[in-house]
Amino acid sequence: MKSSPVNPLPPNPLLDQFLSEARDLLENTGKKLMQLEDAPTDKSILDELFRCVHTLKGNSGLFTFPEMTRVLHAGEDLLGMVRSGHAAYSRELADQLLEAMDLVGAICGDIESSEQIDPSRAAESKFMTEALRKLMPNTVPSAAPSSGLDAAPLTVANSTGSPANVPHSGLSAVPEAVRLAAFQQCRRGDPLHWIAYRPERECFFHGDDPLNSARHTPGLIWGRIVELAPLPPLAELDTYSCLLGFELLSSAPREELDQYYRYLPDQVEITAVPAQELLSGQTDADGAKEASSTVNPIRSISGDDRIALEEILAAQRQILLLDDRPLWHAGRLKAVAEVLANLCQATGETSARADIQAALAEDLSTGHNTLLLAWLDAHKGTDTGLSGLSGTSETAGAVHDAEGSRVDPLPGNGPGTPRTNEGVNFGRRADDDPNGIKFGRRAEDAVGGPKSLKVDQAKIDRLMNLIGELVVSKNGLPYLAERAESQFGVRELSREIKGQYSIINRIADEMQDAIMQVRMMAVSFVFQRFPRLVRDISRKLGKEVQLVLEGEQTEADKNIIESLADPLMHIVRNSLDHGLETPDVRIAAGKPAAGKLTIRAAQEADRVVIEIVDDGKGIDPAAIKQKAYEKGIIDEATLERISDQEATNLIFAAGLSTAAVISDLSGRGVGMDVVRSAVEKINGSVVLQSEVGKGTTIRISLPLSMAVTQVMIVESDGQLFGVPMDHVIETVRVPRSAVHAIKQSETAVLRGRVVPLKSLNSLLGIAAIPKANSDDELAVLLVQAGSAELGLLVDGFQETIGIIQKPLGGFLSNLSSYSGSALMGDGSVLMILNLREIV
Amino acid sequence: MPIEFKKNRAIFRDEATVEEAEGLLEWLQTRPSAKADLSACTHIHTANVQVLMAARTGIASWPKDAELSAWLEPAFKSRG
Repeated sequence: MKSSPVNPLPPNPLLDQFLSEARDLLENTGKKLMQLEDAPTDKSILDELFRCVHTLKGNSGLFTFPEMTRVLHAGEDLLGMVRSGHAAYSRELADQLLEAMDLVGAICGDIESSEQIDPSRAAESKFMTEALRKLMPNTVPSAAPSSGLDAAPLTVANSTGSPANVPHSGLSAVPEAVRLAAFQQCRRGDPLHWIAYRPERECFFHGDDPLNSARHTPGLIWGRIVELAPLPPLAELDTYSCLLGFELLSSAPREELDQYYRYLPDQVEITAVPAQELLSGQTDADGAKEASSTVNPIRSISGDDRIALEEILAAQRQILLLDDRPLWHAGRLKAVAEVLANLCQATGETSARADIQAALAEDLSTGHNTLLLAWLDAHKGTDTGLSGLSGTSETAGAVHDAEGSRVDPLPGNGPGTPRTNEGVNFGRRADDDPNGIKFGRRAEDAVGGPKSLKVDQAKIDRLMNLIGELVVSKNGLPYLAERAESQFGVRELSREIKGQYSIINRIADEMQDAIMQVRMMAVSFVFQRFPRLVRDISRKLGKEVQLVLEGEQTEADKNIIESLADPLMHIVRNSLDHGLETPDVRIAAGKPAAGKLTIRAAQEADRVVIEIVDDGKGIDPAAIKQKAYEKGIIDEATLERISDQEATNLIFAAGLSTAAVISDLSGRGVGMDVVRSAVEKINGSVVLQSEVGKGTTIRISLPLSMAVTQVMIVESDGQLFGVPMDHVIETVRVPRSAVHAIKQSETAVLRGRVVPLKSLNSLLGIAAIPKANSDDELAVLLVQAGSAELGLLVDGFQETIGIIQKPLGGFLSNLSSYSGSALMGDGSVLMILNLREIV
Repeated sequence: MPIEFKKNRAIFRDEATVEEAEGLLEWLQTRPSAKADLSACTHIHTANVQVLMAARTGIASWPKDAELSAWLEPAFKSRG
């Protein structure tokens, strides 16, 4: 295999499609896993699940995403075993698979955002793959080290037992000259890694040439070929079964090695080599018994390396000669002593260690360096430099491992065990599945999803903007018709223009409707994440929750649906955390142990209504009132006056969190007020009803679409203003005589209720009084502003139109009295009033 | 041909690919005393190395490519 180190991904329509499909498949996988939890024996769900993972794996194989493919392959194998009854479905299994899917999702995210996979994913993927494989019966790769995520080197000290666990036992095979050169490199700060590369037997079939891979390993210092299994006699040799492995020493950083071997992480074992291990060779206790003939490395070193060692000694001496006494002086002494002791050990002069320790202890207590320095000087004396150090060498060989112990047959990689590498197997088809599972994937896929086009949202948005402009410019035609008649006196032409206008109008309306339909999305887009969320949270909280989703097919504009996600998530969390009780509390209250959380969506006229209903403990209005009063949200008079219903809705007020205990789920102060403001931002409203002991219902009402806002045009002081129809209750004409002044404010009695009246002119700071019509009646626009009704005095009403509201930009964005502007057919600008602000 | 088979000597040139391995194996099976000449070889696929090692083929000359030679020599010599 000639793997390119980095894999740049050019913009690729196929990739885009893959990513978008992958998201769907991942969602579906999550959903099916959740369903399977309720019905573990349902074969059809399992089949569907398997198909999802299988398709995803197959698709990922089209690209070079070995990290992804590997995880999916393991997941597929696992599911295959569950399907065939060889493994049992369990919650742990579901957990693991969900996590695996999360990882795949994260990798997809990587690809989407940076077009490259984060190198650290390789380790995660390996870890995940192993975790998945562990769940498979009888295939636990016992010898494979689980150090996938653990970048810390497996030092000899903490690894015991079989040679397979001792990563550097091959170090003694490295020629001393190389080892010392590597040591020098290591001292300069280069990382050093020992790589045990055990190609899988079938690797030749994947186009791998392990020797070639080994030869081109980045930072290669040394390497050798080892026999993974004894080579059979020539007559029995299978040319295409790889029996050779490699041991390599590299000075490349870990990331570079991971990147280079990203296709084969399960075949290579990379461990960091501490510098001192290079010198001391093998200190493994088992190895020590088998004294080999390896000569003392220090004694036979060449001139260069001797200089290196002298440098070490000189450095220690210099450190000792420093006469400052920093706080870390003791640490410094210990470090020097350690270096010296290690050097002695490397040379086999183990007895010197005691002397050094004694000198160190003495120096530490006196705070001087004298004894260590004296020791160093005493041992440095002669011009050969190191002869003093390497005086006794009879124990030297004992610390070196016997060479032959390294080559061991590779466990767990025999032909009988499932293959763990999938990375380079792009060309594989479903038919050659190792488990023998065969089905016509293509044919079945076609049955599944509806015929649909995946279109980038930006394109839809552009189309919508264009249609919006068409709607606006078509509105110019009636003005043109009028001018043709009044200004040029061509009545015939005027009529024809009007005729054309009505046709264009109809088509434009239909186009607008059509594009709205395209933008429509089912609420299931938001709902589908709840099963997982509810499952995870309820388990964390130790509660049992039955989630019921209704009306998932209800549709609304994509922006609405998307902005719904966070508030809904928040509400659901709140319900789970504060609403529903733990099973024992529920049973004590005479309720079923499992709480019920219903999320229901329905369309009501031109609005979408979403209800979140729980049968938990409900909200105590008295507690809320008290809390709100304590926090200064309501005053004493209000405290006495407000109804329970109003009180419970106080939880939407900013700064009110009723959570007695702050958990990681809710109660962090960002409470329901965030929910309310998020909902109001998209012109929605939210109401809460609760009954203590019975449960809570939260009702969110949202417009179907944000794109077109219905506004009523009103006239005041010769200017036109738009008022969103959402706020308009009715329009009435009130005789001036029916307007009464109560203190400073004017009121009128409308349908038996006293309604305060305010002049729009005065609210906007226009110094003009509202005009009455010929019958001396005032035009009153009854609006809903917040929770109160208000009569807005205007000069006159005009028609209701659908407009595409544009936010005010630049300096104008500070004008809070207006929520936006819209272009009228005659080219004039209509300002849309922001009633919440001006009232 | 990356491997030229003489009477009792296989001469490797440039890159010996995985495709050569089967032929090399058959050839060696009938000639236990054959030797390999790797001097002009720049790379030799693992499969071929394996065959040569299993056959304990004597190496008449090591690759001129010192790096390749450093890989192969110890491996062959340790088998004796």
